[in-house]
Amino acid sequence: MRVVCAMSGGVDSSLAAALMVEAGHDVVGMTMRLYNASEAPGKGRGGTCCSPAEVDLARQVCDQLGVPHYTVDESERFSDHVIGDFAREYAGGRTPNPCVRCNEHVKFAPLLARAEAISADLLVTGHYARIEQGHLLRGVDPSKDQSYFLFAMGEHVLPKVRFPLGGWNKDRVRERARDLDLPNWDAPDSVELCFVGGRSHADVVAQQVQARGLDTNALAPGNFVDSEGNVVGTHQGIHTVTVGQRRGLRIAGTKPRYVLRVLPERREVVVGSVDALSRRELELHDLRWFGPRPEGPIRGHVQIRHRSPAAAATIEVDNNLARVRFDEPVRAIAPGQAGVVYSGDRVLGGGWIEVVEANA
Amino acid sequence: MIYLDHNASTPVDPEVSRAIHEVLADPGLQANPSSVHVGGQRVRAVLERGRRQIARALGVNTLQVTLTSGGTEANNLALFGAARWLRKHDRRHGVLSSPLEHPSVRTAVSRLAAEGVFTCEVEVDRHGRIGPEAVLAKLSQHPEIGVISLALCNHELGNVYPIAQIAEAVRKLRPDIVIHTDAVQAVGKMAIQFPQLNVDLLSLSGHKINGPKGVGALIHRRGIQLDPVFVGGHQERGRRPGTENPALVMGLAVAARLSSERLAQHREHVQGLRARLLAGLDAMTGVVVNGDRQHNVGNTVNFSVDGCEGQLLLINLDLAGIAVSTGAACSAGSLEPSHVLLSLGIPGETARGSIRVSIGGSNTSEDIDALLTALPQAITRVRGTAAPSIGFSRADFTDT
Repeated sequence: MRVVCAMSGGVDSSLAAALMVEAGHDVVGMTMRLYNASEAPGKGRGGTCCSPAEVDLARQVCDQLGVPHYTVDESERFSDHVIGDFAREYAGGRTPNPCVRCNEHVKFAPLLARAEAISADLLVTGHYARIEQGHLLRGVDPSKDQSYFLFAMGEHVLPKVRFPLGGWNKDRVRERARDLDLPNWDAPDSVELCFVGGRSHADVVAQQVQARGLDTNALAPGNFVDSEGNVVGTHQGIHTVTVGQRRGLRIAGTKPRYVLRVLPERREVVVGSVDALSRRELELHDLRWFGPRPEGPIRGHVQIRHRSPAAAATIEVDNNLARVRFDEPVRAIAPGQAGVVYSGDRVLGGGWIEVVEANA
Repeated sequence: MIYLDHNASTPVDPEVSRAIHEVLADPGLQANPSSVHVGGQRVRAVLERGRRQIARALGVNTLQVTLTSGGTEANNLALFGAARWLRKHDRRHGVLSSPLEHPSVRTAVSRLAAEGVFTCEVEVDRHGRIGPEAVLAKLSQHPEIGVISLALCNHELGNVYPIAQIAEAVRKLRPDIVIHTDAVQAVGKMAIQFPQLNVDLLSLSGHKINGPKGVGALIHRRGIQLDPVFVGGHQERGRRPGTENPALVMGLAVAARLSSERLAQHREHVQGLRARLLAGLDAMTGVVVNGDRQHNVGNTVNFSVDGCEGQLLLINLDLAGIAVSTGAACSAGSLEPSHVLLSLGIPGETARGSIRVSIGGSNTSEDIDALLTALPQAITRVRGTAAPSIGFSRADFTDT
C-alpha cells in the first residue's frame, strides 16, 4: 500500500515513517514548506518545524529509509490560515491556537489531496494520538498527547489518516529512533511555535499586523483597569497580554494581579485577583464533531488549553454553538483557544472559545 | 529509471570517467600544477593538454580558455568581470540581458544593479523569442549599455537565439560593447565555433555534456579585460585564482571532444525523439507546448498541463520511474512559478503546471513512449482529486 508520510524533520514523524517502511508499505515522504522569506522564523530554541534545516533532516531520513522525499509548498495557506490568524486574533484581544489552525487547514486535507493525487491510500503523521474504530483518541503518553490540537482536522479525513505513534511514549520513540540510527533521535522537542523562532509573540504580531496592513491601533498602549473600571496601570498593547497572565504586567501594588479579560474596543485590559480568574461557563462556536452532532445536553470533559486536564462538564449543543457548564470552576479561560470535548479518551469534537460568562 | 532531465545534468561518459580516474590515480600526477619542479611540470602538462582539447572543440586557442568550477562561475566571471572592469576604467558598463536568463546570470545582473550599475532587459515575445531589432532598440534607448548577456539556448524552453546575428547588428552600432553568451545549454547540442558567434565571452559547463560536475570554462576573445571575482593567486593569468583541478579539466576536455565528434549523430537522434514526444503531446487535450518550436536546440520540450500542479505530475512520473523537471532544477523546492514562463506572459497557475522534458543521447523511443503512456494517467489522477487547486489560490478549501 502506498502511504504519504508527512515529515517535519523531527524525530516523531521520522520514526512514524520508519515504522511504515518496516510494515512493508510503499512510503513517500513529504515535507511542507510553510514560510516565505518575510515570514521565516528567527533562530529558535529546539527544533523549528519545517525550516530548511529540518527539511534537510527529513530528506536525510528518507534517504536512509530508501524512500523518495518531496517538498511541497504550503506557504500561502500557512500564511493565511495560521500566521495571519495568529496576528488577527492577538490584535483582536484573543489568544489564538496556531497548531490547531495548522491541523485544520494545512496539515491534513491539503496533504491528503496530494496523497490521493499520487495514488497513496493513507496519510501518516507523527502525532501522539490514536485512531481506533473510526474514533480519535488521546495518545497513550499523557505528557505528549496531541489530540487537543486535532479536534478540527476534519471528520472526513480520519479514515485516511494513521498515527503510528499514538500507542508510544516519547522515551520509547527516542530509543527506537536511536536503534534505527535516525539522525534526529536526540533532537530537542520543539518548545515554541514554529514560525515564532526565538522572537516574542508580541513582536511577531506587531510585524505581521504591519505587513498585512491590519489596524495598527490595536498595538497602541492602553489602560489596565480593575473590575470596577479604575485605571491601575498602562499596558503596551492588548496583543502583549493573554488571559491568566501574571508575569510582566508591571502593575504597582502588593497583591498579585492576573489578566481577567481583554476589551479590544476600549483597548483595556481588566486585571484582578486569582480568584476572579475562575469561571464555570463558556461558549464554544464554530463547532466540529467526529460523528453526528450530539442531540440535547451531554456529559463529558472539556479541555480548554494544551496541557491542562479536561474538566467534567455538561455541554448543551445548539446548532453551531455549545454552552459548557463545568461542574467545578475552571481557571483562565481564554477566548480564541480551542475547547475540546472528550468522552474518556475519545475526542467527540470541539469549538472555539468565544464567550466567557462573568459569573464564577 | 528513465532519465529525461538532461538539461539539469547528464550521465558521465565512461571514457570521461576513465580519463578523470587516470589523472587522479597516477602517482606521478599528484603535485601542484603551479610548482616549478618536474612533478609540477608533469601535472601542468596534463592540465594544458586538457585545455588544448577544450580550445579545439570551440575553435579557439588555449589563451582564450579560462577554467572555472562550472557554468555558474563562468557566468559570474563574465558579468562581474566585464562590467566592473569597464566601470573601473570609466567606460560604458551598463548591462543588457533578458528576463529568460539562467539565475546565475539574472542574479549576477541584479547584484550589479545593487552596486549602482545600470541594467535593463530586452523584450521577449510570448514564445520567448529575441531578435536583433529588440536588442538594437534597447541600445539606442540606453547609450550607457556596455555589456550584453544573452544565452545561446534557453535552459527551460530549449529556444535557440540568433546570437551571431545579434552580435553582428550590435557591432555595427556599438563596436565597443562586450557581448557574453551563456552557452551552457547549447554546447554538445549544436555546432558551436566561438569565432563565428562574434561574441567576446562564452560560458560552458562540463556536466551538461556528459562530463563531470564542478568544472566549466569561460571562453573569451583574446585580450579581453576582466576584473577577477576571486583573488589570491596567479592561476588562469589572474582571471581565476585557485589551484586548478587537472582531473576534472581532463574530464571536461574528453567530454568536449566526444560531444563534437558525436554531434551530428546526437542531434539526429534526440530530434527524432523530440518529434515523437511532440506528436504525442499534441494529441493530448489540455497540454500546451511552450517556447519557440521552430528554433529549438533539439532536445527540450516544455509543456503546461491545464488544471494540474507540475510538482504533482513530476512526483507521479517519478514514482513511475520517469525523471523530468518542473523548470530549472535550481528553482525546484522553492516552487515559485518559473520566471522564464511568467516572462512569456504565461499565467502563474499555468506556469506552475509546467513540465520540462530534456532528452539525452542514451534515451530511446521506448523511453518517450513510456512517458507518453504514464503522463495521461498522471494527469487523470491529479485532475481527479482536490489537488489541482492546491497550492494556488487562497481560501480554496474549507475544512467543514
